[in-house]
Amino acid sequence: MPLALLKYGIQRKYKGNRYFPAAKPLRSAYDVVIIGGGGHGLACAYYLARDWGISDVAVLEKGWLASGNTARNTAIIRSNYLTPEGALFYEESMRLWRSLAGELGINLMYSERGHLTLAHTDAAIRTSRWRAEVNQHLGIDSELVGRDELAKLCPELNLSEDIRYPVLGALYHPPGAIARHDAVAWGYARGAMQSGVEIHQQTEVTGIQSLDDGSIELETDRGSISAGQVVQAVAGMSSELARMVGIKLPIRSVPLQACVSEALKPFLDPIVVSGSLHIYVSQSARGELVMGGATDPYPLYSTRSTLDFTEGLMANMLELFPFLENAKVLRQWAGIADMTPDFSPVMGITPVSNYYIDAGWGTWGFKATPVCGSCMAELAATGKAPELIKPFELERFSRMEQVGERGAASVGH
Amino acid sequence: MKIIDCPLNGPRNAQEFICAGEVKQEPSQDAAIDEWADFVFLENNLKGVVHEWWCHVASSYWFVVTRDTATERIIATYRPDEFFASQRQTEGADSE
Amino acid sequence: MSKFTTSRLPEPWGSVINRDHTISFRFEGKGYQGYEGDTLASALAANGVMLLSRSFKYHRPRGAFTFAGLDANSYVQVGDEPNVLADMLPISAGLSAMGQNYLGSLYRDHAVHAGRLSRFLPVGFYYRAFFRPKGIWPLWERFFRRAAGLGKINCNADEAYFDKQYLFADVAVIGGGPAGLSAALAAARAGANVLLIEEAATLGGSLNYARFQRHRRDVDSLRDSLIGQVEQNDNIRVLVGATCNGWFPDNWLALSRPNRLYKLRAKHVIACTGSVEQAMVFRNNDLPGVLPASGTQRLMRLYGICPGSRAVVATANAEGYDVVLDLLEAGISVQAVIDVNQSAASPELVEQVSTMGVAVHQACTVGEAIPRTGLRSITGVVINKLAESGEATGESWQLDCDLLVTSVGYAPLGQLVCHAGGELIYDDALNSFIVTNVPPDSGLAGSVNHRYALDAVLADGRTAGLDAARALGLNPEADSQIMPDSGAGGINHPYPIYPHRKGKDFVDFDEDQTVADLQNAVADGFEHPELAKRYSTVGMGPSQGRLSSLNALRIVQRVSGDHLAGASVTTQRPPFKPVSFGVLAGRSFEPERLTPMHRWHADNGAVFMPAGMWKRPAYYAGNKDRAATVAEQVAEEVAVIRGNVGVIDVSTLGGIEIRGPDAAEFLNRMYTFAYKKQPVGRARYLLMTDDTGGIVDDGVACRLDDEHFYITTTTTGSDTVYRNMLRRNAEWGLEIDALNVTSTYAGMNIAGPMSRQVMEKIESDMDFSKDAFPYLAVRQGTINGIPVIAMRVGFVGELGYELHVPWTQALAMWKKLIAVGAQFGIRPVGVEAQRVLRLEKGHIIIGQDTDSLTMPRDAALDWAVTSSKPYFIGKPAIGLSETRPQSRLLVGFRLLNSDGPVPEESHLVVRDDAIVGRVTSVAWSEALDEVIGLAYVAPEQAESGANFQIKVSQGLMVAAQTVQTPFYDPENLRQAL
Repeated sequence: MPLALLKYGIQRKYKGNRYFPAAKPLRSAYDVVIIGGGGHGLACAYYLARDWGISDVAVLEKGWLASGNTARNTAIIRSNYLTPEGALFYEESMRLWRSLAGELGINLMYSERGHLTLAHTDAAIRTSRWRAEVNQHLGIDSELVGRDELAKLCPELNLSEDIRYPVLGALYHPPGAIARHDAVAWGYARGAMQSGVEIHQQTEVTGIQSLDDGSIELETDRGSISAGQVVQAVAGMSSELARMVGIKLPIRSVPLQACVSEALKPFLDPIVVSGSLHIYVSQSARGELVMGGATDPYPLYSTRSTLDFTEGLMANMLELFPFLENAKVLRQWAGIADMTPDFSPVMGITPVSNYYIDAGWGTWGFKATPVCGSCMAELAATGKAPELIKPFELERFSRMEQVGERGAASVGH
Repeated sequence: MKIIDCPLNGPRNAQEFICAGEVKQEPSQDAAIDEWADFVFLENNLKGVVHEWWCHVASSYWFVVTRDTATERIIATYRPDEFFASQRQTEGADSE
Repeated sequence: MSKFTTSRLPEPWGSVINRDHTISFRFEGKGYQGYEGDTLASALAANGVMLLSRSFKYHRPRGAFTFAGLDANSYVQVGDEPNVLADMLPISAGLSAMGQNYLGSLYRDHAVHAGRLSRFLPVGFYYRAFFRPKGIWPLWERFFRRAAGLGKINCNADEAYFDKQYLFADVAVIGGGPAGLSAALAAARAGANVLLIEEAATLGGSLNYARFQRHRRDVDSLRDSLIGQVEQNDNIRVLVGATCNGWFPDNWLALSRPNRLYKLRAKHVIACTGSVEQAMVFRNNDLPGVLPASGTQRLMRLYGICPGSRAVVATANAEGYDVVLDLLEAGISVQAVIDVNQSAASPELVEQVSTMGVAVHQACTVGEAIPRTGLRSITGVVINKLAESGEATGESWQLDCDLLVTSVGYAPLGQLVCHAGGELIYDDALNSFIVTNVPPDSGLAGSVNHRYALDAVLADGRTAGLDAARALGLNPEADSQIMPDSGAGGINHPYPIYPHRKGKDFVDFDEDQTVADLQNAVADGFEHPELAKRYSTVGMGPSQGRLSSLNALRIVQRVSGDHLAGASVTTQRPPFKPVSFGVLAGRSFEPERLTPMHRWHADNGAVFMPAGMWKRPAYYAGNKDRAATVAEQVAEEVAVIRGNVGVIDVSTLGGIEIRGPDAAEFLNRMYTFAYKKQPVGRARYLLMTDDTGGIVDDGVACRLDDEHFYITTTTTGSDTVYRNMLRRNAEWGLEIDALNVTSTYAGMNIAGPMSRQVMEKIESDMDFSKDAFPYLAVRQGTINGIPVIAMRVGFVGELGYELHVPWTQALAMWKKLIAVGAQFGIRPVGVEAQRVLRLEKGHIIIGQDTDSLTMPRDAALDWAVTSSKPYFIGKPAIGLSETRPQSRLLVGFRLLNSDGPVPEESHLVVRDDAIVGRVTSVAWSEALDEVIGLAYVAPEQAESGANFQIKVSQGLMVAAQTVQTPFYDPENLRQAL
């Protein structure tokens, strides 16, 4: 039994071990204000304090801690992206992920299960090989595997040739992982607060103004705040917030739904994704199958659920795992995804000085939490975007340039 | 599932339709490139009432839907000619 | 075996069982008997078996709690199906079920010692440990995963049948209890078409088991009367045994039965979903032998089961006294009533049961249930005197009993309403949640609407039914009257939670969460109810907080000092109850599109490949006995077109007809090339870009008349191209008509040096001679009596004719070509060979040789862009790109070393360790006797004769040389023959 638990067991009366220092009163000025208390915002706050010694920082969260897309995440982590700029960025994130639990002092349940992207057509095989080649060239563990190897990696998978779209092969990414989403946010929040960062929950920004002296004035439902620098990290509400300061974004807000099965005795080790069938699935440490698919067919700011989603998803699940017809869906939910035209995020400076944006993550922002937090912190601290995020600046669209990730991203998890 | 009142086919399940995004005014061909970049890539993406292109897939019929993206309420549907005529009217009224 | 004594009560107890029909079944390998109408849980209870399952974390023995399928204690495994609710599963002959989540057997679970470790496993324990040193978690995870999960999945399970049905109704009434019956009758009598949905096998709901105090003697006759009226009303359809699992926008309801999903569209919905009795919290409150009042009543009234021999009833309300009367009526000894109120709500009830010889202890509570060894039943309870504050004092004594019934209140089953936008908010006056924000076109009635007294429930149902009728535009004769429910305020105890210093005082049975776990979650800083929930996992198990969220919220708000009034619980999400993948999936529906020649292809040995929704012959394996490899087959097909004549089914290509005065102008706008001066009777290449200037489709435009074009699109592009055309013209308003004729015409490409000889042998009004029908000409006429659009195009680079013929006559035409061509050695040719043939000509395939960022000049297609046109889609973006240096170019290549490794498609072109491009197409060319391909390279490498490096498997570098395309017949003489 680990020592940490032994200590709890033998203490006479539970005294509580506060994860977070108690909240402080909201002040009227901070060096840096981060709008959005999800994984990205909290990570940015943490790295600002740790790497740049900037702790006069407030994180404003309109709901409760990490109540947005962080809480709704299916928590898949991988770096097998198609473009070199994407792959290198996420590979740095994976490097940070691996040592993060020890650093934050919380079990993130980071589990490298292996990630399989199934190919059902020869076009998908070509794309998979393309990704594998780019990945290998950059030193990322990724390869195209055939049916025989697939049968060993995931014996439960339906490899029959009689189905409508037989599985021809897969892109295999051994370091592909899952993690406990809430723990990531809590770990960053605690780390940031221990360095003096303030986190203000139930504090909503209602107006933003850029002042002549370069500072930013924020209106909130708890009073106004003056900030030297502002980082916006509000996936799902990016366009609405940016509009307050006069920035128009290349984003459509579209619900992304997911669902979870009842807990079942473990049978599925790897994370399985099928672009053609629009599904992804992994089995959590608790035994639940965590499943998702493509984004909803039209933009919406509501997180209602639909029946079409589970109907379609389950039909496709049974194509791959026919024996699951007696497993049961326990709960479905939705988040709002920021969809960009080139399936790549928007990070960096904006036309408004001292106002930095972290948006456009589509369906895959969770895996970037450490690297994005670290890069946005550097940007807010120095005013200069690190090389890793330069390809993702908002300005690219004004030049009518795009990052070429679209070819790989029918289901982006 | 939402019901959409198609001007051609009447009320049908939303599954029969696709949405092609907000109705936008295309710039002229010689407009500045940033105007084009705005048209091609940037979105209003309003949380609130928007006008969008929708198509009834089985009949390939395009029309305009006025919809609240905060609540998912469908407020009205228009034939394209009807919609643009009413827009021209509004614009005319604005300029007077 | 459990010593818990139960037996059947005499009739009329047991309203749903048929004692004339005995059914044998097995549980945990042992044989039992029950009656028709029994559920697995009730039949086992009749045999003295209350223990059904082991809990998730501590492997505590558990039995059914609500006997209404609302808790997860009754989860059992039935064959391949895990997590089946034993209290909802009718027994049937041959049924064989097992318990779940144990090591060893259900009765001797070796994993039960997990419970003894509980003091070392505080709330959120897994966040605190198991992660140091770095990389250790996967080892621990393996250990935890062994303990994870409840039921087992058989990875070789047989597939069963599932299907779906659509239903429509004016009014959907969800729930067939007193409110639902009343609502359905009111709406139906006003003329509405009503669908009444009930989860149980019979209508009646609480009328089947509850007694409603002064209505004690009338309940049965009232139930029979209401059900009779419903059954006789032609406007009411009844669906029993169906669970409403989801309420989606615009009243789209999901109703499920074990093998069927009903999708119901209702104009109006009335939720009469009732409420679920909540557990009282004390030590060992989870053991078999502790039951809520309603669960006890269901056991007795529905199934005729005597739930114990000596009972103690702990109550906070009048319903508890109803149960005392029920128990006495059944001849069960009631040891005592423990009334947790400081002074009893109803002195009359106290007096009534006292006169019947039952002691009533007021201002007391149950502090602990005393388990029998093995925790499978109870032997007594510890009673604590309550202080005025409502907390238990140290003053205590024991009572012997084998049944403890608790009655401390209900939570509304408002989950469905919440799916559609409702919210559950805590109300201080009711000590419960109330349902707010009821969605449009719907209503609530009964206990979900906090009505509990029978008169109030019936009136509420009637009101909701009449309101629905009025909303539908009907004019009911009666008026709605809202009857207040004076009793509702007293039914829920504000804090029926009596923590024990030794724990095991469970708030959430699914997740084994105790009072201390929740208190500690708050102490750890997770003060917001939502954070406390996520940290402790309370409410996240299979019953989704139905039995835990009310008490959990009470505890969290008390510890954190926040207001309870107005607090809400987590958004409730579908499904209401877990629903199987099979029910949601229904029958597999994977549509496929087949060409008219499909059967012929199959009969002639075609091996098919998917192309979008289509299936196309990849190649023809032939029926011969020889063992040729795929490559050999494909090479033969290539050779037949290069040497003789072959025919390719191209029916999957999209076809669109454009007619009208503005037809040419329309194409000019949609495509990059120029069409206004295209002569009638000629074909011209079509290249489509999007607003970003990226290539999206290509094809051929045939001008059949000044105002009439017939155009082709790629196989996968036809639907989107066509839709896109109509969308653009909805804005442009050009005078054209566009029609998607993809499935109106089938296409076949007869190609090869002998193709003209074949065509000339078939009766036709067309002249196939070189002069009359030159390259790129388009002709209309008849061949063999079949109307045809014929065009000479050169995708494969040989003399050839592409024939577009009416779908229904295509097979006849195909057979004619094959028959007439036989003397020239004609053969059908598949997609694989076509790919090689076109590659030899350097023709690109959209989507394979292009990607989403490929602009025309990148693919060396600038010749197909007419920049002088005033407008085409993508023009500004293409114009902008031309002011910038080019980053890559698609070129033809050959390998410098023919013996080395051969690159595959998507292998990278690398220069100075940087990726500059990739191979998009590669093939062995028999005609050229070498490997050829297309690749993106850096502009400096695009000159013919330039060398570049391709990185192939294992990081080997292969030298390639840029070659001018076409590789084959560079002068394009053969296609123009």
